[in-house]
Amino acid sequence: MIIPALNEEETVAAVVRGVLDHLEADILVVDDGSHDRTATVATQAGAIVLRHPFNLGVGAALRTGFRYASEHGYQVVAQVDADGQHEVTDAKRLVELVTNGEADLAVGSRFGSVYDVSRLRRLSMKLLSRRVSRYLGTPIHDTTSGFRAFSHAAVTRFARSYPSAYLSDTVEALLMAGDWGLTVVEIPVQMHARKGGQPSANFGRSLYHLARLTLVIGLHRFRRPLYQRVEGAQ
Amino acid sequence: MSRLELVVLIAAVLLMAFTLEVLRRRRLSESYALLWLGVGLGALILGLARPLVDRVSQALGIAYGTSLVFGVALLFLLAVCINLSIHVSKLESRVEVLAEEVALLRGPVGQPIADPAPAPRPPGPEMASGRLDADPDASR
Repeated sequence: MIIPALNEEETVAAVVRGVLDHLEADILVVDDGSHDRTATVATQAGAIVLRHPFNLGVGAALRTGFRYASEHGYQVVAQVDADGQHEVTDAKRLVELVTNGEADLAVGSRFGSVYDVSRLRRLSMKLLSRRVSRYLGTPIHDTTSGFRAFSHAAVTRFARSYPSAYLSDTVEALLMAGDWGLTVVEIPVQMHARKGGQPSANFGRSLYHLARLTLVIGLHRFRRPLYQRVEGAQ
Repeated sequence: MSRLELVVLIAAVLLMAFTLEVLRRRRLSESYALLWLGVGLGALILGLARPLVDRVSQALGIAYGTSLVFGVALLFLLAVCINLSIHVSKLESRVEVLAEEVALLRGPVGQPIADPAPAPRPPGPEMASGRLDADPDASR
């Protein structure tokens, strides 16, 4: 179980304990350069903690997590937010999809529950969803969901190359999974309001990210594959 | 279409094509690609919509439309330069922090160097205590 965390000292411990209570899993918290006590709190709660020397973004935190998982031979990896938005029982369902062999990449979609977002955000989610679904040939409603489970095949691949730009880490990763012939399955999940930390994005920023992601998706099939780290290289 | 407009058109299209190509080869990040694509688009508009440029420059009290374009272009390039030097400064400080981390990981000279492979470190409080307070400008 990988939990990327940035300044989540208020919630990360509860998330770690919640998972430990309900799942038989090792928990890796990747502290992405927090300025608060996130790492200490997570360690005390029973997680393995890796820490970036400065903030690199969720994608990079996940990449660190995938490499750790790959080097330690974990068969199934799940990704959960540190802010307590995700439900442990849903994590269980996502992991089961992967262990059953039904999915290489199981995505928890937040469209089953009330979710408070701006109009522009909603519109761009719809646009991204349509284009990603068409590319994959399977419907994905929530392309930016950070609530996912990965099979061994997916972890091995993603440990070698994973997009690090903000939001690309979810959207572009879906496209890459499609290129590799991995099965992507989406299920609806419960979503809580954030218990702490601050939500991101204002209008201009959302517009910028929409433009950037449109570019990423539009160009994806023509682009050179993302840098592949050679196995065993430093 | 005048000859000037044709030249501007070709230059702008070339700029955008070049940007897309380096983006395709993954030698340019998407955010910078967006910037230069925007510049190409802006050049296209400024070059092909002379009446618009003239009207704006009149409204600003500038006699020639061309000087408005020059002025805007100059200011824009200045802004890009400042932005890039800020970025370079940030990268510099990050390299410093990384070098410090490497020095700490290697340990004192003369002792055998720790296994360079990213070996599993025992999870525990010691991971949490050896923190460097990195990223002096928490701009992100």
